[in-house]
Formats: sequence, structure tokens, C-alpha cells
Amino acid sequence: MASPVGQNVGYIDGGERVRGQVSYVLNAELPGCLTAKVLRSPHAHARILNVDTSKAEKVPGVVAVLSRNDLIDNPELYPYFGPVIRDTPVVAMDKVRFVGDPVAAVAALDEDIAQQALDLIEVEYEELPAVFDPEEALKPGAPILHESFPPQRGATFADIVFNPGEGSNVLNHFKLRKGDVEKGFAEADRVFEHTFRSPPVQHVPLEPHVTMAQVEAGRITIWSGTQTPHVIRAQIADIFQAPLSQVRIIVHTLGGAYGSKCYPKLEPLVSVLAAKAKRPVKLVLRREEDFLTCTKHQSIIHLKTGIDKEGRIVARKATCYFNAGAYSDISPRLIKNGGYATSGPYRIPNVWVDSYAVYTNIVSAGAFRGYGVSQAAWAYESQMDMIAEALGRDPLEYREFNVLHDGDTFCTGETVHDMHYRGLLLDDAKKAINWQDGKEAWWQSPARTASGTKRRGKAITCVIKGSVTPSTSSASCKLNEDGSLNVLTSSVEMGQGAKTALAQLAAEAAALPFEAISISEPDTDSTPYDQQTSSSRTTYSMGTAVTMAVNDAIDQLKALAADQLEISPEDLETRDGRVWVKDSSRSLSYVDVIRRSRVGNILGNGTFATTGGLDPETGQGVGSVHWHHAAAACEVEVDTETGKVDILQFHSSCFAGRVVNPRLCELQIEGSTLFGVGQSLFEEMLYDDGHLSNPNLSDYMIPSFEDVPPRLSVAAIEHSAAGEVHGIGETSVPPVMPCVANAVYNATGVRITELPLTPEKILRALKEQGS
Amino acid sequence: MKKLVTLRVNGWEQEVAVQTHHTLLDVLRNEFKLFSVREGCGIGMCGACTVLIDGEPISSCLLLAPLAAGKEITTVEALGQEKLHPIQQAFVDNTAFQCSYCTPGFILTTKRLLEENPDPTPGEVKEYLAGNLCRCGSYLKILDAVLDAAKRLQQEKATA
Repeated sequence: MASPVGQNVGYIDGGERVRGQVSYVLNAELPGCLTAKVLRSPHAHARILNVDTSKAEKVPGVVAVLSRNDLIDNPELYPYFGPVIRDTPVVAMDKVRFVGDPVAAVAALDEDIAQQALDLIEVEYEELPAVFDPEEALKPGAPILHESFPPQRGATFADIVFNPGEGSNVLNHFKLRKGDVEKGFAEADRVFEHTFRSPPVQHVPLEPHVTMAQVEAGRITIWSGTQTPHVIRAQIADIFQAPLSQVRIIVHTLGGAYGSKCYPKLEPLVSVLAAKAKRPVKLVLRREEDFLTCTKHQSIIHLKTGIDKEGRIVARKATCYFNAGAYSDISPRLIKNGGYATSGPYRIPNVWVDSYAVYTNIVSAGAFRGYGVSQAAWAYESQMDMIAEALGRDPLEYREFNVLHDGDTFCTGETVHDMHYRGLLLDDAKKAINWQDGKEAWWQSPARTASGTKRRGKAITCVIKGSVTPSTSSASCKLNEDGSLNVLTSSVEMGQGAKTALAQLAAEAAALPFEAISISEPDTDSTPYDQQTSSSRTTYSMGTAVTMAVNDAIDQLKALAADQLEISPEDLETRDGRVWVKDSSRSLSYVDVIRRSRVGNILGNGTFATTGGLDPETGQGVGSVHWHHAAAACEVEVDTETGKVDILQFHSSCFAGRVVNPRLCELQIEGSTLFGVGQSLFEEMLYDDGHLSNPNLSDYMIPSFEDVPPRLSVAAIEHSAAGEVHGIGETSVPPVMPCVANAVYNATGVRITELPLTPEKILRALKEQGS
Repeated sequence: MKKLVTLRVNGWEQEVAVQTHHTLLDVLRNEFKLFSVREGCGIGMCGACTVLIDGEPISSCLLLAPLAAGKEITTVEALGQEKLHPIQQAFVDNTAFQCSYCTPGFILTTKRLLEENPDPTPGEVKEYLAGNLCRCGSYLKILDAVLDAAKRLQQEKATA
């Protein structure tokens, strides 16, 4: 029996998926369950003077109405939450801070009644000046969103570096100091300074945010579409001041997430409402409300780069403003990743980074596939081509000249290993689009300017991305008396194929067929701790924990078999569901060993914890347990009459270390690439005075079949020396946007520094170029 | 205001009392418990709530439930519950999904496409399925699955 690892095993529940039988939380039902609706702020920033819910409460069919009146001076509930700092109220307390901020909620017999009651809630506001741009929010006299920081409660994540800006709109400031950046600039031959901007965009998981909660006999049970069940458990326990054991989070397969379902979203409001209603309550967001849950961070990045005579990057200073929106969510961590990412995969001896998360009066920003690296890569990979042009170098050759090699030092001060840009990723990208050295860049082929309204250009980019470090995953397994294996994990299946990949790894470790493995859904009452399903960490971190748990069970099995065979466990090996005496034909099936020993089942446990972290003052240390890296290559055609960009070909190369399931890897990389295509060309949340003007799929477009580049290919690249699994869930998002922009430049000589690359922007730039 | 409506869903006729402003999507989920029909956008842009009405794919979020009376309504639950329908099998074999929230809509639209055009070109597939959105971006594998399904159905026809 060959190991299923490395095979194209289909989804573990493929049949249910095509029958429409996946049990999303959207489908979850409980007897007596009420429907919830949320009243939201019409103002971007306002003080709440009064909330009157009395009329709403009298509507027949309304069971409970929740507002700040239930939370003020209520010793039983702590009304704030947040994964790093508790700045987010369950419903608005003193102020509202963005258009859409939850102010009250109704639980009623059905949606129509709930809506009718919402319309009867009377809220008196005193409008306050609002601020929407992160740089504006830092100016003296700007309206302050959070006058003071709530006291720290409970634990946060070990990797968080927290330098809050008390009394200002600075939520957090990440600092990185490596070498002597001013000396680096002084000694540089040339210095380049540019600013790059990217807008907030939305994840648009087709299954919206859904939460159902029941509070009964002191136990809080929540069914939620979340990527972070254990974070939710801790936060809900904090709100209710209950022990973790009294809070139960159950997660079903998610209909897409992409970061949007990390950390508490609907869970605090729905559970507190259920407690008041004394009945189960379910809240399903409509699409326009889902746009109000979280976004990718809008960013403004100032990049100053010093180059020596040979073209080496000798100094880089990055000042990054990430728009955190109204509440903290996970911004305090994201600006760290986005901050150190501005060095890119390049050898730079002197680096200075100031990365700020800034409160403003728009929807809170949170985790988004690419996690800060997309914003950083948009800046540094655009600038890389701008520098190559100034130096008259080939953009690919110039990257290869500066890119990290094994043994080099990253900007965090750590020595990097397993770097495969040269010789693997960049070669793959180059080959895919038939890149001709010295001929592809705008400045190398001035003949392009000649004529024609359809201009073609190519580009190649590359990025580096960390995975949250330190982090912890644990898993358990039950080897059953019939030789089947239950694996208990809190990893969330959200389309990435986690359950399938984990079953493949478990089958390999257990020497059992793939079909003998069952992977649990997360349920914090029974499945062990996992930090989060995000950061492209599951196959590596949870995969390792699952393998450890299975090995633990197999060791016990061998000990039992050793007794039965009267031989030392060291002389035994497992193969094809049997325990064999090495170099012999003597064996016992797992079934026989377990039944004869009368243990019922064998329980195995595994915990995998990585170590690392960065110094709060210098950003030096270990940023990631290992580094994810990717390259991208594309060819575009720009219509100079309409400004429209057609991506004719796109190729993504992603380093995978060891591939567990080739087809699932392809799907992840193709999906990441299309996420990047949408962000390159059209995705953007548009605000008008704080009001989101395109919260629907008519005005906010996501890629359809017609946006798929006619030639789209991906490569999950393995390397025999690196047996370690590398996450591939999002590394191929960040290289896309600068790749498209650089290709547009090479086609037209037009440089766009603010995403997305809309026809309007390109036409305007072409016009300016012509004049 | 509630109204009694007789709906014919997956070959079964059932009388249900529906609010006149409720959509077919609401009623299929809430009354018939057909959870393959899913709201993605609520405005007919994403195709996740696609059902077949007399064989034609429509967005059930846009059709008021009483207006579906007298028509044959088909959801993916009617396809191959015992043995997978060749289109479903092609989606499984080509791993043509990730989160699979959009999958029933794609399968039903594909069914109509292959009835109208049993041997479509890749370009025709892309154009026909452009109203079904897959945020996970599984489009390449979906294209493979649809072309594969076309082959399977043609073979089935040839051997029948």
C-alpha cells in the first residue's frame, strides 16, 4: 500500500459537495430558534445620547432586544472584546465609529418581525467629526476614535508586538531597526523614494457570516462559521466571565473565508442576545452587511531605497500606514507582518521600518488572504522595476542580483535557509512566459512606443511571506478496534481541503488506507487546542501535530503487539494495517492487537509548538518558523484607446517543500492568483463620506469565468532537500498585483502606483504621458 | 400577507403557505429544507441560488415564490442521490470546487448548457457559466469538469 501523501486524493467528502449536502452553519437549526437582525449606525462617528427599545419590545413575536441598556453597569457581562485589545463593544456603548456599527439587535420569531422591530428602535445621536484616511487621522486636531485604551484583559498571542499610541489614533506601531539606515543612505550611490497606495477590499466569501448561539444552564454553545474556534471560546468566556469549559464552539465546513472569519465577528452579539432571549438565536448576514464585517487594510506605503554603484540595495526605509478602521481586530499583528515584508525577498543590510495601524471611521480591517504582504509587495515589487529602469538593468536579472540566498540574513536578523528564488521559482516563472533577457522591459525596447492601440508587456515578480510564529497546534486520535482511525482536530475546513490533506498525513503515519481515516469538525468540547486556521499554517502545523498523535497511538499499539508476540517493540514495524516483526512474515492486524488487549481503543496525542518572535524595539528575532515564497509572471495587453487591461497569460510559482495533494495545491494557487487578478484590475471598496457605496456584487465585482486569463498556469514547486511541508494557501496573492502593474508599464510606459488598475487611471496616465 | 401556493419541486407537489414577498430561494430553504440552494448576493449576480425552472437555470433569489407555481422546479437534490449524475461525478473526479458553496449552481447551469450544446468549446463553457461566481477561483477545474461531463453524457447517449 503506497502512502496517499503526494497523491491526487479527491476531497474526503466530495460526494456531499456535489449533492449540495455540505452542512454549513447556514443550514444549522435548533428547535425554538429565533432569528436575529441588527440595527446599525447611520453615522460614521457619533456619540449615543439615548437608545429607546420600548416600542420594539412590544412588537408581537419579539422575544428580546439587545442594546447598551443591557450592558451598562451589568456586572455579569464584560461588554467588550477584541483578539488583542478589548476595544470592540458587543453593541455600541458610548459612541458609534463607522457607518454600520451595530447599535442594537432584535431576536424574534422570524425575520420580518425582527425587521419591523428594528425600525421602532429610537436612537439619539450627537454627530461627531469623522476621519477616513489614515494619514489624516494622525494629523494634530484629527477626531480621536478611542479616547482611551481599555485595560488589557486576558492573554493575547505570543507573537504580538504592541506599542499603542495612547490618546491618538495610532492603534499600534511596529518598529524594525537593522543596521544603520542613515549611514546606508549616505553611502548609497542613488536613492529612490516613492509612495504606493492600495484600497480596502472585501473577502466576499459566498457563505456570509453566520452564527447561532444557545445559552442554557450556564453553558454557552455557539455554532459559528469561524476560522478561530479557540479564540472565540476565550473571548466569549471573557464576556460571560465563565470558565473555558463552559463555552463550547462548534464549527462546520465554511463556504469560504479567506481571513474574513478569523477572530470574533458575530459571536459576542449573538451569544449575549441568546442569553437575554433565553432561547437559541441565529444571525445570518445579508451580503450588504457582510461588507461591514471586515476588510483588507487600505495602505499607504512610503518606500525609500538606497542603491550602491553595483546596484545592490544597501538601505531601505519604509513608512507604512495601514487603515485599521474603527476597531482593532487583528491589526496590531498584521502591521508587523506587513511592516517587515517591505524588505521583500532581498538582501538589505540596513533597514528601518515604521508600520502603523491607524484607527479611522470605516469598517474595521482584519486578516485578508496575503495578510499585509500584498500591500508591502505592491510597493516594493513596483519600486523594484522602477529602480531597474533607472539603472538600465533587466528587471528579472536585477531581482536575481539582489534576491536572498541560503545563509543570507533577512531584515529580522535571522539567517534564511531553503531559499529557492534563483534556480527554481524565478526560472520557472521565466520559462512559463518565455521571458527574453534584456528585451522585455519598456526601457529595453523603445520600439514599443511606435504604434498600435493594443500594446503588450510582460513582467516577473517575487515575494516572501511568513507564517505566524510562535504558534501551537494539538491533535488527538482514536485508533478503533476495527482498525479505523478518528482524528480529532480543531482545524477548520473552509475549502482549502484541510480535512483531506490531514487524512492523507494521518493515513501515512498510521499505515492505513485513506478511507480508514475520519477527520472531525472542530468542537471545543472535544477537539484539542489549535491557535487558528489561517496564515497558511494548517497542513504544516496541524499536519505535524496529527502525525505526532498518530505516531503516539502507533507506539502504544506496538507495545501491545510486542506483549502479544513476545518480542521487543523495537523489532516491530507497521505496514498495511498490520504490525509486523521486522524481516519476518509474522504479523498481527491492528484489529487483532486491539481486540486481544481489550483496551477498547488506543488514544494518541500530539502537540506541535513553534518558537520565535520579534523584539518590540528592533523587530529583530525569528519572524517565521520557515518562509513561504512565490514568484509570478504575466503578459498583458493594454488597449490604449479604452485603458482596459487584458491579462493574456498568468503563471504563479509557489514553493511547496513537500506536496501532500497536488491538485488541492493547484486549486489553492489558482484561487490565490485570481484573488490577485481581482485586486489588480477592479476590486475596491468605495466610500462616500464614510458610507460604503458599493456593498453588493453588482457594484463590487469579483472575478468571474470571463476574468480568468486565457492562459493560466500554476506550479507547486517541491524540493527534495526540503521535506518539510510549506503552506501554499496565500503566498501567490501578493506577487500578482505588482506583476500586472509592471507588465502594464512594460506595455505602455505608464506607471500606476495606486490599485486597482482601472481603465480610467490608465487612460488618464496615457493622456499625461502624451501631453 | 400569506398565500397558499402549490409548488412542484423535484417531482413532488406540495402546498405551502408563503408570504407573498418571499422569494423562491426563501421557500426552498425554509419550507422545503433544500439546502443546496444558497444565497450569495441576493440580487441575481452570483448564481449560488440557481435552480432549474422548467429546465432553465434561474436565480431563485429574484423570483417571488408564488410566481413559481405550476412550474417544474429542480434543485441539485434531484440529481443522482443514489448514483451521482455524470456531471456531479465529473465535478468530483476533476476536483472542481473548493468550499463548494457555488457548486450546486454550477452543476445545474452546466446541465442546461449540455442539453443545449452537448459538445461545447471551452469558450462557450466560460461564456455560459459567466453568471456563476466561484470566489475560491476553481474555474480551471470547473472548465475541465464541464468538458469531461460533456464527454461522459455523449458516451452515455451512444451506449444507450
